Amino acid sequence: MAAAPSLPRILGPIRPRARWQELRLLGLVAVALAMGSLSLGTTVTGRFGLYDARGLGIYLGALMVAHLAQVVAGRRTDQVLLPAVAMLGGISLLLMERLPQDLVVQRFFGSSYGLADVQLLWLVGAIGVATTLGIVVRSDSWLRRYKYTWAAAGVGLLLLTFVLGTEINGQRLTLEFGPISGQPSELLKVILVVFLAGYLSENRALLVEQDTRVGPFRLPPLPYLAPMVAMWAIALGIVVVQRDLGAALLFFGVFLALIYAATGRFSLVLIGLVLFLLGSAAMANLFEHVRTRIDVWLDPFADPLGAGYQVIQALHAFARGGLLGVGLGAGLPEVGGRPPIPEIHTDFPFAALGEELGIVGLIAILGIYLVIVQRGLRIGVAAADDFRSLLAIGLALVIGIQAFIIAAGNLKVLPLTGVTLPFISYGGSSLLANGLVTGLLLALSDRGVEPPPPPGAQSRWRGLGRRGAA
Amino acid sequence: MLGSDGSRRPLAGPTVHVAVVLSVAFALLAGAAGYWGVIRSADLAQSPDDAAVIAAARTVPRGRILDRAGTVLARNKADANGELYRVYAGPAISQVVGYASRQYGKAGLERAYDAELSGLAGDTLTDAFAKFGTNPYDPKDLTLSISYDLQKAAVSALGAHRGAIVMLDPRSGEVLALASTPTYDASKISNPATSQAAFAALQDDPAQPLLPRATLGRYVPGSVFKIVTAIAGLGSGAITPATTYKQQPGAERNGLLVSGYRVRDGHHPQTGSKPLDLVGATEVSCNIWYAQTGLRTGGADLVGYAERMGFGAALPFDLPTAASQVTGGTGAQPGGFVDDVELANASYGQAETFVTPLQMALVAATVANDGELMRPRLVTSMTSQRSGSRTIGPQSMGRVIPVSDAEAIKAAMVQAVEGPLGHLFTTGAKVVGITTAGKSGTAELGGSGEPHSWFIGFAPAENPTIAIAVLVEQAGRGGEVAAPIAGRLMTRYLKGAQ
Amino acid sequence: MDGFTLVVWGVRLLFLLLLYLFLARVIRVLLRDLRAAAREPAQRPGRLIVLESPAGEPAVGRSFGLDVITTLGRDVNNAIVIDDPFASAEHAVLTFRGRNWYLEDLESTNGSYVNGHPIDGVAALGYGDEVQIGQVRMRLERT
Repeated sequence: MAAAPSLPRILGPIRPRARWQELRLLGLVAVALAMGSLSLGTTVTGRFGLYDARGLGIYLGALMVAHLAQVVAGRRTDQVLLPAVAMLGGISLLLMERLPQDLVVQRFFGSSYGLADVQLLWLVGAIGVATTLGIVVRSDSWLRRYKYTWAAAGVGLLLLTFVLGTEINGQRLTLEFGPISGQPSELLKVILVVFLAGYLSENRALLVEQDTRVGPFRLPPLPYLAPMVAMWAIALGIVVVQRDLGAALLFFGVFLALIYAATGRFSLVLIGLVLFLLGSAAMANLFEHVRTRIDVWLDPFADPLGAGYQVIQALHAFARGGLLGVGLGAGLPEVGGRPPIPEIHTDFPFAALGEELGIVGLIAILGIYLVIVQRGLRIGVAAADDFRSLLAIGLALVIGIQAFIIAAGNLKVLPLTGVTLPFISYGGSSLLANGLVTGLLLALSDRGVEPPPPPGAQSRWRGLGRRGAA
Repeated sequence: MLGSDGSRRPLAGPTVHVAVVLSVAFALLAGAAGYWGVIRSADLAQSPDDAAVIAAARTVPRGRILDRAGTVLARNKADANGELYRVYAGPAISQVVGYASRQYGKAGLERAYDAELSGLAGDTLTDAFAKFGTNPYDPKDLTLSISYDLQKAAVSALGAHRGAIVMLDPRSGEVLALASTPTYDASKISNPATSQAAFAALQDDPAQPLLPRATLGRYVPGSVFKIVTAIAGLGSGAITPATTYKQQPGAERNGLLVSGYRVRDGHHPQTGSKPLDLVGATEVSCNIWYAQTGLRTGGADLVGYAERMGFGAALPFDLPTAASQVTGGTGAQPGGFVDDVELANASYGQAETFVTPLQMALVAATVANDGELMRPRLVTSMTSQRSGSRTIGPQSMGRVIPVSDAEAIKAAMVQAVEGPLGHLFTTGAKVVGITTAGKSGTAELGGSGEPHSWFIGFAPAENPTIAIAVLVEQAGRGGEVAAPIAGRLMTRYLKGAQ
Repeated sequence: MDGFTLVVWGVRLLFLLLLYLFLARVIRVLLRDLRAAAREPAQRPGRLIVLESPAGEPAVGRSFGLDVITTLGRDVNNAIVIDDPFASAEHAVLTFRGRNWYLEDLESTNGSYVNGHPIDGVAALGYGDEVQIGQVRMRLERT
């Protein structure tokens, strides 16, 4: 038997592998989105037909290409993530198509594109990123090995945003390089998870097994809490410097959840929560913008035409929607040609969907987020080693917690913060970063990835056969 | 899993915990969505501040408002630019219908029924389908129980006085007249050409013409409150119609000593030394008998029976109403009274007791309708081209007292109008040829001001079809001002109806 | 209420229904996956089916149940004895770690192959993959 020609290891042997489950689910996504587009088109135009067949076609085409690419690559990656993300992205596309197109105008090569066109571009980009990573990433050593480098890069990015960032609405979140602008905090959340996964997997045994007694509490060795304190400081820094409550809340939430997942010690979470409450109280006392947010949260009706306006309008949108919603295209009454909620496409898509799809629709959307999270956690628990486990768990939690924070802000469960609704809000940075998350989860779900470092030296098995197990 | 790889196993447990916490958090979101989308839905989505309501107001002709005879009370008219504005039947109805102005918002029924008038709300199912029709709006015409004739008569009966009159059918709760004076011309506010000047003048007027006194004015009731005390006394079983107090005749001269304070009377030297019962005490409006009845009933039952008739909270009504109160509620005694002195004074309406004219009309209606209170209402049906007509039927607010108790109070109130002594206190309240029941009130305000003049009543006593409450601010004794107004209006209604 | 409005309503409700249909399908996949995961550790994780064996030992079609660690080679003390001239005495070891299979070549003379490609040290395997030791080809299958 002749040895097969040796291929570069990174690609390995390519043998197409059918992904029937994914194909079936994607088929269902296509049917559902077509139905949504039909509903939108019929409502808006008054004639029976799809609303934007071209946009829907491009989107579904991109999904099919992503599916086929994975089939050809032949990896045994997860088959549920892509359809779930695709469904959310499709709902986003329908929503952006029905909002006024001049909310966002981008010019490329002389012609200008409206909201839905730009969003479609980013959605296709995000699916591309996810698929590419899901196919190409076989080794995690580039993430695992350089975790401190990543952390440094993240902090650097943060500082860069502070120094060079453009201020919009009193928040310094956007970084501009010539024609390209982006929000680094979206990328930062991925970097944070990589760093935490690296740190926690390396020190997990210590954090779990050793104790320092402080009064009645049994705590892990104190020096290992340093990153926790550092994290806390970074979160506060983000609030102070960037005025970005949402990102701070997200980072801290993911951090606490991940540290609990890694160690199973509730005492750490408790400390974290106490630190968080202390920090929030101090912030609320020291900084006007934090206090305003909290006041508006407690009673938006105190200033219905000023600070509370957005939140109140969002609540009205939920109220108009009711149980079944008013239908795609039939809600969001425009006053003076504008949608009723300012920043509806970035901060309030959840409220918009609440009006048009109703509570029934919202619960379905929340369910899809939970599916993505469950899938990520499952990948994490099944992963071959601690780093991958924690990485997958962290990435899944980033999506879940971020969705929770902004949905809760829309519903007046939490103070409103400016994070995006993953896969649904308008915005390139957000979509690409979440595409990155999806891609990494896909790659991690492949059980055939390059194996983790063997438990011992390779010669560990030598002599096993001769000694005999029996 | 492998035993040798034990370090991985512990991850699964905490991860499941994290998943559970996140799921619970998501369930919380679904719950919050349910709260805003279902429980608070009507409240928010039909409020005049809602974007959909505002959007509709600019484009859709509002529904008309009609009285019970079909007289148009509010309709649309186009200005020079073709934009619509509202025209109203006349100043008499302004306190009920209110106004809808592009500059100054909305008031009255125009505000309360904004969503229906602008075509956004109504029958849930029809509305749900309407959203996808070619015209999503379905403005509804409102038909009121108001009789515009009677309303005009009530407003002119008050004349230059400040005051309020409520007339309703005790059997169905349909409000026939809801007059407040001074009134204003709502058409001037809704007309863009005159709105600015008209609104500024009204806001500066010290007589507060924009205040709907019948529903939002709170007044000391005086003796008309005795009917509430009688209802509570009989209802709770503290007294019977035959109850007398033997110290009462003596106390007429020197006053009744309650905890060191003297409740004084003295309006009726004619009753002599005979102790009065319910009918006798009501006929001469005996403060001492009612003070003792109140003390025997107790604060808890007095307040409790008042609350059965709507005291203590805004009334369930088509317009916003102020809450009437028996007491300030700050005291430690049952019902919130400070002490027995307050309770004794409240029993004849002279303590921390404040009532709206609408509330007092409901007290009269309760007695008239044999002890069962019907929800007061203005809008009796809504009609639109698309969803047809929907009738809003009568609705009971529950039985307050048994029929026998109501009959006893009715007899007392008849005696207060028709009795040889009673008619001296309620001169002019009698509808000629028809048995009339009623009770006058003179609400002392303290200080040097004239008292508020009150009358509540109903007719025909055998089978009441009309209940009335009349309040005239600072006009003197109830028998002299309010009672004749009530008599004239009931006569007009009953004779006109025959 | 005209027919068109009814159609719009139908389409709209159908969209919501399809969202739930999707969710139901996805959750069914998740549950099946979880159930399979719960079953797995209790049983033997997998088996090897002999596809081709020129020397006749092991015989074609024979099935070997696999343990967490399974040694393969010509020596009789191996869990699976491959009596083939091209197999080494201690040829390779198949391990199940976490939820994954790994084939590790123990520096055999002729090497081990997965799906026809020689492995360099360790290679991950999935169900359905083919393992070749010497001239013996076997397929990894779920039990």
